[in-house]
Amino acid sequence: MKRGSLILFLIFALITFSFAERTLQIWAMGEEAKNLNVMAEKFMKENPGVKVEIQAIPWSAAYDKILTGIAGMQLPDLAQMGTTWMAPFGSMGVFEELSSYMRDSFISKDIFFEGSWQTVELNGGIYGIPWYVDVRVMFYRTDVLKEVGYDHAPQTWEELYDAAKKLAARGENMYGVSLLYTGVFGNEFMPFAWQAGGRIFDEKGNVRVTDPEFVEAIEYYARFFWEELAPMGGGNLFQDFASGAVPIFFSGPWMVNMIDQQTPEIKGKWSVALMPKKKTRTSFVGGSNWVIFNTSRNKDLAWKFIEFMTRPENQLEWYEIVGSLPAVKSVWEYPELANDPIMKVFGEQLKDAKSPPNIPQWEEIANAISRRVEEVIYKKKTPQKAAEALKKDIEKIVK
Amino acid sequence: MKTNWIWILTFVGPALILLMVFLIIPIFASFYLSFTDFNVFAMTDWSRAKLVGLRNFIELFKDELFWKALMNTFYCLVVAMPVTVVLSLTCAVLLNREQTRFKSFFRTSFFLPFITNTVAIAVVWSWILNPSYGLLNWFLSLFGIKGPNWLGDPRWAMPSVIMLVVWKAVGYNAILFLAGLQNMPDFLYEAAELDGATSWQKFWYITLPMLRPTMVFVTTMMIIGYLQLFEEPYMLTQGGPLNSTLSIVLYLYRQGFKFFKLGYASSIAVVLFLMISALTLLRLKLAERE
Amino acid sequence: MRKRKSSWLQEIAVHGFLFIMAAIMILPFLWMISTSFKTPAEIFVLPPRWIPKEPALENYRELFASINFGRPFMNTVIVASSITFLSLLISSMAGYAFAKFRFKGRDKLFFLILATLMVPGQMTMIPVFLLLRQLGLLNTYAGLILPGVASAFNIFFMRQFIMTIPNELIEAAKMDGARESFIFFRIILPLSKPALTTIAIFTFTGSWNSFLWPLIIAQDERMYTLPVAVSVLAGQYGENLGIQMAGSCVVITPILVFFLFAQRYFIKGIALTGLKG
Repeated sequence: MKRGSLILFLIFALITFSFAERTLQIWAMGEEAKNLNVMAEKFMKENPGVKVEIQAIPWSAAYDKILTGIAGMQLPDLAQMGTTWMAPFGSMGVFEELSSYMRDSFISKDIFFEGSWQTVELNGGIYGIPWYVDVRVMFYRTDVLKEVGYDHAPQTWEELYDAAKKLAARGENMYGVSLLYTGVFGNEFMPFAWQAGGRIFDEKGNVRVTDPEFVEAIEYYARFFWEELAPMGGGNLFQDFASGAVPIFFSGPWMVNMIDQQTPEIKGKWSVALMPKKKTRTSFVGGSNWVIFNTSRNKDLAWKFIEFMTRPENQLEWYEIVGSLPAVKSVWEYPELANDPIMKVFGEQLKDAKSPPNIPQWEEIANAISRRVEEVIYKKKTPQKAAEALKKDIEKIVK
Repeated sequence: MKTNWIWILTFVGPALILLMVFLIIPIFASFYLSFTDFNVFAMTDWSRAKLVGLRNFIELFKDELFWKALMNTFYCLVVAMPVTVVLSLTCAVLLNREQTRFKSFFRTSFFLPFITNTVAIAVVWSWILNPSYGLLNWFLSLFGIKGPNWLGDPRWAMPSVIMLVVWKAVGYNAILFLAGLQNMPDFLYEAAELDGATSWQKFWYITLPMLRPTMVFVTTMMIIGYLQLFEEPYMLTQGGPLNSTLSIVLYLYRQGFKFFKLGYASSIAVVLFLMISALTLLRLKLAERE
Repeated sequence: MRKRKSSWLQEIAVHGFLFIMAAIMILPFLWMISTSFKTPAEIFVLPPRWIPKEPALENYRELFASINFGRPFMNTVIVASSITFLSLLISSMAGYAFAKFRFKGRDKLFFLILATLMVPGQMTMIPVFLLLRQLGLLNTYAGLILPGVASAFNIFFMRQFIMTIPNELIEAAKMDGARESFIFFRIILPLSKPALTTIAIFTFTGSWNSFLWPLIIAQDERMYTLPVAVSVLAGQYGENLGIQMAGSCVVITPILVFFLFAQRYFIKGIALTGLKG
């Protein structure tokens, strides 16, 4: 009897051991993390014996948390990573290279938007998989623009400038567009440089910010401030948009819900449009990727989770939960997105969107760009002189 | 009279050990980095940081943004320190009078800036300082003054930051002064009153001298704290416009934690440390002489 | 300050000044409370409404629905009170030694301690993290508590305060054959009540609100403190301001209660009984 129960116990122990739960640890940020539980439950149902543990990290301190985690090699299996954080953290050598995982997977470069895919490629390797994307578009007040004779959104640089002039001429404290002029606004400025055909580096890695296209973009951007078409340090974006004082601004998809929530009174009086065209209508693409840490002991499982999150039906579900834009192109053909007039614009813009150079020095370059453009805005330097100074800055940074 | 070594160890030992482990050793570690080219690639493997001697310091010396940050930070110290001392001392003395009513209400209010969430503070201050809808410019307009574009004007951004600095510090230092005032023996004042001293005389000849240890503490902490100005410009202006509110620590934070140049950032920390300790020593030496 | 009757005018001036100061201090706090009861649509309405048109409870409802407050609250209580108790004890001991003991190298040692305040906290973040990992203290209460205990600020403040205690008092006790421990616990500590109360309030408040360090030490959500748990709800672009404000109201309410309670010890006189006899 005694022996029998021992054997039974052993068998039982063996069974539990072989089915022992494997735990997948994930770091995710803010509200994404809070809502990710829904997806995690679904994943666990599909994969019995797997436990997903999500550690929610506040956005405000995520950067420091990841940094100390990397320095001390105290990392989860999988993490959400902002696209502009890919290069700096990736350069520290803790992300798993994913090419070999992709070989036998439905995940490939072509299923994602090009600009979004740029953010996972680092030093010739693939260090992440896009999760969701952000792209900047033009938000504008349809009714206010009609007042100055525009029954459509400004389509080109010339139209934007012209519309801004007419809008600002409406009276005192009236402006055309809202643009950032202080802080770090490299991400806000770069679309204009791209639209003009400018670039920071050429294929050989030479700094090209003194090219006429880039200088033209600096001047175009600064002119809105010189001629008081864009407010400097006044008001409140929502308030001024609602009152019509500043009827045009550029921002990402998160703004759609925020405008609805914070200024419900202008419902139906605003819309979104593509970026204005110079040579192109290029915009800035950001968002978040998935990365696997190479310290993980559950890389196979982590990859499985990435595949799970990349499946079109799950991308759609995620869109419906938090409203962030799917990174997978085919999802945009679902009626939920295709029939939504606002989403259609975002989808269209995503086809012409870039991310900044994926190098760890980008943050420093973005700072330098902001500093020099700011000097032009405040008329401390001419666009040409600022571009020359910027060239020196960048050459020093990447040296 | 000399104290027994055993007692000294018992009383100073625990504090010293904890400070050693959690501050002094890490500080030495980070000072060591100032002689290396520690950058993003060394983060997971410190051996990749090469010793470069004084290169960081030489570069720092030539860095025009660092000089700008240095000037801005001293600007803040020179303006904010006297204003804070006068305001908080006044509050504390007034709160310590017997005739003053609603004391616990005042004390509680002075405590509030200190516990209110920094996000709330940042949002409410950028609203107060908003040139078109802000409380401050509305208030000024009552007197027919057209207020400036506080945070958007390079000349006014630093004064705005200083306003927030002082606002946060007044209540806090008033509570510290209050603790010092509460320790004062009544008989001194009673004696002075018998001699017919006015309140001003009592303040000048009794309160201030008796408060000297607290004053030394408060001003020393201000030198140390204000020269490490960071949070306020970080929240309000991120150093702009035109780097007019860029402080030393904000610059250090950028270099070290945004650009991951920890070697360079450490050299900023070393220079800052040397400046603060020189000023602090000066302050303490002055206190000894008084 | 004892005084004969002062004039009405003087009282009005004094109270007027204090009320203006108080108003400036309270303003952001009131704004925080008022925002916590606002719907997103009402937050940015200008001119601001101090009393929301339709006070909304949904921020608090969402907060309590998505956070399980029990565990983070207990964590914060444990951490903040341990830090406060230990720091008070250790700092007043050291403060006493630096104020009243005489030994070789005292001032140099004291300056070394002071020097730890002169390096920005960011610089020590990574080394301390590596150290705690080495000591196996990540994800433990000890890891949350110990780095907060050693406070040069508290030591300095206690030293300055204890310096004002007359030496005669200590000499007299020594003549009676008292040991240092007796002098410390029976004379110095009781006489330092105003100072102890002050730094207790500051230390408790500081560690209660501390946010970055607990997050870095915590390796899973079970070790989260209240501010960390609450701040998770804030979005990347600062949307949901109402919830954030509701969160900070919830976080600081216990501190306010603690402060009002501790205020009683501010009352003058208790500390001075020893002096007057």
